[in-house]
Amino acid sequence: MIRLALICLLCIPSLASAAEREPFDDRYCTTCHGTDGRGNEGVQAPRLAGMEPWYLKRQLENYRDGIRGAHPDDIEGLAMQPMAAMLTDESIQDIIEWVGGWNYVPAEHTISGDLDAGRALYQPCATCHGADAEGNEALGAPALAGQNDWYMVTQLRNFLAGYRGVHPRDVYGAQMRVMTTGLSGENDINNVVAYINSLSD
Amino acid sequence: MVKPVSRREFLNLLAAAGGAGAVVKAGAALGIMPADAAASTLDLAAGNGRSAVILGGGISGLATGYELGKAGWDCTILEASHRCGGRIFTVRHGTLIDELGNRQYCEFDDEPHMYFNAGAARIPNTHRTLLNYCKELGVELEIFINENKTCWVQDDAMLGGKPVRNIEYTTHLRGFVAEMMVKAMHETDMDEPFTEKEAEILLGMIRSFGDLSEDDVYRGSLNAGFDSGGFLSQGVQKDVIAFRDLLKTPFAMRLLSTNEGETGPILLQARGGMDQITEGFLRQVGDRVSYRAMVASIQVRDDGVDVAYDQDGARRQIRADYCFNCIPTHLVTGFEHNFPADYVRALKHVLRGEAYKAAFQAKERFWEKQDIYGGISWMNNRSQQIWYPVAGIHRQKGVILAAYDYGGGMYHTRMTQQERVEAHLADGENVHADYRNLVEKPVTVGWHRMNHMLGCSARWRRSFREGWTGETEQHYRTLQAPVNGRHYMIGDQISMRSAWMESALLSAHWAMADLDRRLRNAPA
Ligand SMILES: Cc1cc2nc3c(=O)[nH]c(=O)nc-3n(C[C@H](O)[C@H](O)[C@H](O)COP(=O)(O)OP(=O)(O)OC[C@H]3O[C@@H](n4cnc5c(N)ncnc54)[C@H](O)[C@@H]3O)c2cc1C
Repeated sequence: MIRLALICLLCIPSLASAAEREPFDDRYCTTCHGTDGRGNEGVQAPRLAGMEPWYLKRQLENYRDGIRGAHPDDIEGLAMQPMAAMLTDESIQDIIEWVGGWNYVPAEHTISGDLDAGRALYQPCATCHGADAEGNEALGAPALAGQNDWYMVTQLRNFLAGYRGVHPRDVYGAQMRVMTTGLSGENDINNVVAYINSLSD
Repeated sequence: MVKPVSRREFLNLLAAAGGAGAVVKAGAALGIMPADAAASTLDLAAGNGRSAVILGGGISGLATGYELGKAGWDCTILEASHRCGGRIFTVRHGTLIDELGNRQYCEFDDEPHMYFNAGAARIPNTHRTLLNYCKELGVELEIFINENKTCWVQDDAMLGGKPVRNIEYTTHLRGFVAEMMVKAMHETDMDEPFTEKEAEILLGMIRSFGDLSEDDVYRGSLNAGFDSGGFLSQGVQKDVIAFRDLLKTPFAMRLLSTNEGETGPILLQARGGMDQITEGFLRQVGDRVSYRAMVASIQVRDDGVDVAYDQDGARRQIRADYCFNCIPTHLVTGFEHNFPADYVRALKHVLRGEAYKAAFQAKERFWEKQDIYGGISWMNNRSQQIWYPVAGIHRQKGVILAAYDYGGGMYHTRMTQQERVEAHLADGENVHADYRNLVEKPVTVGWHRMNHMLGCSARWRRSFREGWTGETEQHYRTLQAPVNGRHYMIGDQISMRSAWMESALLSAHWAMADLDRRLRNAPA
């Protein structure tokens, strides 16, 4: 069963007229991230369903604290940042529980590439993200298998270009940024993402 | 560097004009009286208990519910938001502006004329289907003033940033252009390519276009407005602005044509706010609308369509024979669905627009003290436009549009609310010195982030010269056609002219007429 918690992310401004105000709805996540957080390529919002709670928490906190989504060229991150800015620790916990109730639907594959080249490029990634891209909580590395491939492409580009992973407090992001220097250009990005796709076939 | 046009080049141009008639298709319909303009209307067969579920309460969805309802169909409209109308959005006292990450409640004074059309605002007189609905639904209309030559033109690059009246700017521009043309004509052999009579009329046209002095020199014109006097004393002409100065701003390329094309004919608006159009439809179909009902899944079957939606914390189901869907394509791609692959490719092909608008409540109608009643001031800065209201003339307060970025609205969208407001105050101050103290209670609407919209108008990729490319048109036809004969995408997104209510209505009419034709032709 799907549970749709109506979480109050931000209390209604405590003005005298608050009572007569049009109530708002806090189910914002699915407007962008699609039905049950399956991800929506149309607005470049990634899959949330099935995302590890600890990773979701870290990203929401990073967004809230301006560690992620602050670079002027991180287009999608900039749309997410103000959403997270209104979250409290409590509401982040609520969201994680909400997301936990969603059924995981494998992401559709939209990218193809040279799998052999991708396998070779993936080897250093496997150290943290696992040979099957299943993720590793102890190392702070999320699962990649099953994530939207177009989203992974954007994020690899963002790391490479320095739109992500440059904030002094983004420890994991900085690690990731170092790792992406092994990728030279769009072809490499496509190939490695195509290989990650093949792991969830 | 752009080379100045030489006298010779100019003469060549002029001579060529004599042959222009040959390439322009002229007088094709000579002698035929123009027919009356016809709105698109439907004559649907009786519904006979058929049912339709309509996804999204945009104007195309509402019109579909209205038309099918008239034909006796059983309709349900599912709307995710707390309101219908979608991109028809009038903001007034208490309105919730549900922008993601920037939720606002409008604080304007609670008066009928204090409103702001944050989405659709203008109805061209040729948008017959929309006008026809306004008439049928009893939506009162009034004239909208788009071009008002008393409004200001301001560019930091011109005259040290001093604003000038549109009428001054355009009068002088015409004067100098006319002077150049006449000079060139005096030197041409006027027998070729024009007859004496034609040449006389052409010269006369140019002289009056530019209001030239008798010696064919432009020395300013009373058309630009009086500096003083004019009633009981002699009118004093304003100083001329040098041609060079006029050419310091790119407005030279735009201002003579802002009142042409789609914004050229008479424009209208709904009295009291454009949402009166939505209200007109809701008077007819309001009881068919289910609010805060967010579509999650669309399954097209052989004998109907199953739709799942989230409402009141539960997932609900509805089944209908047919489905009409005006939800933006870029949101539909995030639903659970069983659409065919080429349909999904087409849905993803459409990009989303980025328009942005902002408004202020003005504590007093300071523009009326400058003879301005309605219209638009143009600024060559990021806020671009100031619109003065037609509503509430001579009242104490009014609502003005403080910014309209209809192309790439992301510049302001990416800012915080405080940054947006400061940007519009700083920009507007260039035109109205005391702006900052005269306005209050800002509202801003970044359509790219509006809940359940996340965009302005669909952007179909097209080439500037060739129009729609073959691939784009293919996707368009794919989306226009129903899935399995049961599910129709509608809205201005399924038209070749997005961003107009008329297109949204015509797309809905196309879909209903298509279904009607198929039902009539189906074996009993
Ligand atoms: C800034 C701006 C200026 C404009 N100016 C003009 C103008 O001057 N003149 C003019 O004619 N037109 C103008 N337009 C365009 C006009 O507003 C649109 O063409 C028209 O309103 C589109 O109607 P639609 O039926 O396509 O649906 P939309 O208005 O796009 O409505 C879609 C509906 O779907 C709902 N929805 C979204 N997701 C879900 C879901 N999951 N479940 C259920 N419902 C959902 C939305 O809440 C919305 O109500 C302007 C638009 C903008 C943004």
